[in-house]
Amino acid sequence: MAADPNTTAKPSTRPSERVSFASLTTNNLGTVRKLNSVLFPIKYSEKFYKDILAPEVEEFCKLIYYNDIPVGTVCCRIETKDDQGRLYLMTMGILGPYRCLKLGSQSLEHIITSASAHAKPKITKVYLHVQISNPDAKRFYERHGFEETGIEQDYYKKIEPRDAWILERKISPSD
Amino acid sequence: MPQGPAAGSAIPAKRALPSKESTLFKDLLSHYESRQLKKGHKIADQILKKFPEHGETLCMKGLVLTHMGKREEGLELVKKGIRLDLTSHICWHVFGLIQKGEKNYDEALKSYTQALRFDKENLNLLQDAANLQTQLRLFDSLQETRHTILRLRPNVRRNWVALAVAYHLGGNLEDARNVLEQYARTLKNIPDYDTEHSEVILYHIRLLADLGHNADALALLDTSAKSRAVVDRMSIMEYRARLLSSTGAQDDAAHAWRALIEHNPDNYAYYRGYLSAKGFDIDNLPEVKTPEVLKILSELGEQMPKAAAPRRLALDVASGTEFTTLARTYILSALRRGIPSLFADIKALYTDPAKRDAIERVVTAFYDSLSNSASASTPATHLWTLYFLAQHHSFSPSPPSPPSPPYTHALTLIHTALAHTPTLPELHTLHARILKRAGDPYGACAALEEARRLDGQDRYVNTKSAKYHLRCGMLEEAEGVLGVFTKKDAASPGADLEDMQSLLYMLEEASAQNRLNRPGLALKRYLAIQKVFDDIYNDQYDFHSYSIRRFTINIYLNLMSFEDKLRAHPAYVASSVEASRIYVRVHDDPSVATASTSIANMTGVAKKAIKKAKKAAFKAQEEPKKGLTQATSNEDKGLEPGPAKDEDPEGIKALGVKDPIEQAWKLLKPFATPTQNSLDVWIAVYDVSVRRQKYLLAAKALLKARGLKGEDGELHIRIVDFKQRVSSLPQLPADPIGPALASALALILPDELALETYNSQYLQRHASSAASVLAAAKVAHNLHAPIEEVEDLLFRLTTPEVNDDIKSGLATHAFLVKLGSRRADEFRQGCDDRYVLSTVFKTPEEIARLRAPPAQGMSDGDEPPEGQ
Repeated sequence: MAADPNTTAKPSTRPSERVSFASLTTNNLGTVRKLNSVLFPIKYSEKFYKDILAPEVEEFCKLIYYNDIPVGTVCCRIETKDDQGRLYLMTMGILGPYRCLKLGSQSLEHIITSASAHAKPKITKVYLHVQISNPDAKRFYERHGFEETGIEQDYYKKIEPRDAWILERKISPSD
Repeated sequence: MPQGPAAGSAIPAKRALPSKESTLFKDLLSHYESRQLKKGHKIADQILKKFPEHGETLCMKGLVLTHMGKREEGLELVKKGIRLDLTSHICWHVFGLIQKGEKNYDEALKSYTQALRFDKENLNLLQDAANLQTQLRLFDSLQETRHTILRLRPNVRRNWVALAVAYHLGGNLEDARNVLEQYARTLKNIPDYDTEHSEVILYHIRLLADLGHNADALALLDTSAKSRAVVDRMSIMEYRARLLSSTGAQDDAAHAWRALIEHNPDNYAYYRGYLSAKGFDIDNLPEVKTPEVLKILSELGEQMPKAAAPRRLALDVASGTEFTTLARTYILSALRRGIPSLFADIKALYTDPAKRDAIERVVTAFYDSLSNSASASTPATHLWTLYFLAQHHSFSPSPPSPPSPPYTHALTLIHTALAHTPTLPELHTLHARILKRAGDPYGACAALEEARRLDGQDRYVNTKSAKYHLRCGMLEEAEGVLGVFTKKDAASPGADLEDMQSLLYMLEEASAQNRLNRPGLALKRYLAIQKVFDDIYNDQYDFHSYSIRRFTINIYLNLMSFEDKLRAHPAYVASSVEASRIYVRVHDDPSVATASTSIANMTGVAKKAIKKAKKAAFKAQEEPKKGLTQATSNEDKGLEPGPAKDEDPEGIKALGVKDPIEQAWKLLKPFATPTQNSLDVWIAVYDVSVRRQKYLLAAKALLKARGLKGEDGELHIRIVDFKQRVSSLPQLPADPIGPALASALALILPDELALETYNSQYLQRHASSAASVLAAAKVAHNLHAPIEEVEDLLFRLTTPEVNDDIKSGLATHAFLVKLGSRRADEFRQGCDDRYVLSTVFKTPEEIARLRAPPAQGMSDGDEPPEGQ
């Protein structure tokens, strides 16, 4: 589930903007839970919260801080098949008041850079689902080199509309 | 440590040993010295086989056994040894060592004095005696001892300093200075930047300054700084600035303070020093001088662009529009930078209502500008501004318009902030505080738990959450929360915190137990707080020798004055007063000691807690015992007794003492001093004294209390109580107490006035004060007024004429319940209706529901499809 983290860009002329990422631990997991509960219309399972703590995904599961305030989160998992890895972006979201500050872009760039540097397994692509009612989010990902590869019908079971675009971006060592 | 017999003295026949045993005895001493306890034990037995009556060997064996953990057996032997050889310095020294280990400093010093009678120049004995005399603050004999040591070893540097310190502690500053001057003459070939020498010089300078010889102090400082004798450069600068100020060289002083400001531009003391050198006393500034001071501060502010201190000080000084302008710059800059502590920094200004209002206008206007325009502000600024405003309206609510319950505005603001950014723990903590102030401890506790779930590593939030749980009487839950951070191998989180001397926890837990009507457990905690202070006081012992040895004299003297003021600590005073109240309750109604602590009376949870505590205590005792079974091991257990086992986990014994009122007096006696200015203390002193039939002291306590707050409700109750008690005496005490008492009583309450009249006059004077109305009702009850009359008085609290609050409402309800009034529930319901935000007036069933932990909100039956 990807909420629209960034639609339009404002010139960043504001004083002191510090963006930082924090790895997830059992101690700050409560913040991730809180963010998910206000950002997404879906309740995530305990397994979700267990998996994002795994050391393998440390670079792909982060809390996003803006001036030391936790305002967003991004969580991925690695899917491995025949030594080929692909990264699935499970959630990414920024609290409403903090959108349009390029936090989403910076987070996505961090994910892509980390993915291209990842060795075992080597990651060849990143993909994700976007609900078809959310064209802003789709445009956001397209600006970062994602392309639509199709529509998955009835992807969502409990929210309307139930269909989702599948977006994908190839990863090369130069990213 | 014990040494062999002094050379040259005639040895009594019973002490003399043949040469073989004499050698063995020397071996025993050296084995003890190197803590070869097992070998020492063996040798002692070897000697005793031939000379079972040899006192010194018996004492040494006792000492060795004590070190090995066999305390009782050891002490028995030592006592026997002394009886057999009363003139041996070794025997007395051993006894003294053991008493010192038990922290029985008084008795230990007596033994050392005995030992010194038989070996006058024994340096070990003298050093230990000096430490004991310092601990007991016996400065005259300390000076003598230090003098003797110096006479015996004049070439040891620290002996000079030790004598000077002894004079200083005893208040003989001139003598201390003489010693230091003589000491300075003995020194030669001191290397540059020698730390110990540097400390002594700084001490010398401090001493001269204390004596008022500022010019001499300054001269010594300047020569020592030039000759590279003083290492601590900050101290040089600070002493210089202070000394120049006191000598009146204000230009030089201003220069010195200015240099210090450069060094640390956020030290307020430096700015105060600078301004006072310029002739401005910033705390008593005439208004005509404010423009000059503000000009200086503004210049300093420009020179130190990063420092907050000059700008913050300007807010203290300025007023009117000037203040508004400065406050706007200061506050808005902090809001833009996102400084969480801004409100804590600012709120001291709120004592001036004009400044409070100005700040409210500034921040409200700023907030409106943020919401209205597309200004170049960040969402973080928006958030911190909301946070500030919520704190402002929680700390100092404006009169609401239109009328709404207090704290409504603060709550609206914090809800807006939480909707904006639900992930900042500070916001949830503030939410909790507002709810607490509005009288909803259960909601507050839940709000703090939200904060704690966001960041499990934040110990501040963890402790706050535990405290809020305790305030709701949720003791088990509090322990669970605290256990996240306490040692895992401790008997319980509470035991670990007691070990760590957490006064906050101990006080809160004790009063929670008290509120749950478990006086035994509460009393136990209060007494444990007393013990913490005993421990802190005892802990200074090692510093008497350490600080002299390391020449850290300045900090040592600060420590000594800290220890002398230790028992004025609020936690110590509070625990003494609260414990005395429990003793008074038991004295008035001995069934309190048996009824409320009996397990039958407790809830299942409490029973379980007690069982757990018992088990843990048992385990804690068993562990050292395991060690004891192998007492022949060489392990040194030291001379201090191990932790005493907890034989009273429920506090029943503490509560069931034979003489509760005497115990109470023991706690309060140290506070009944002429300078005591706590109303609570004097009321407690009255309660205890009058029950001990010390009527003169009781009268004195009332007069003291009246001097502090003459119209206080609790005092009013006591005045009438005193009069009743004294008039019911069969006869006044004998001369001189009787007449003195009569005249004291006349001062407190005019004789001709009937108590009922006195009470109704008091009520008329304070008809709008809830606490006073309650006090008058209690007095009416004590004067046997019919219950309907008392109830009518109490129900005045529900009328608009009385300025009631939640606290007085709770106290009144408790009193109605105690009276067995049928209108108690009516009163409770009335309060519940009036205090809309409060939950403390709910029924027990409703409260039980409020206490139940909120649902976690993390369901697992809602598994999203693959890819979520």
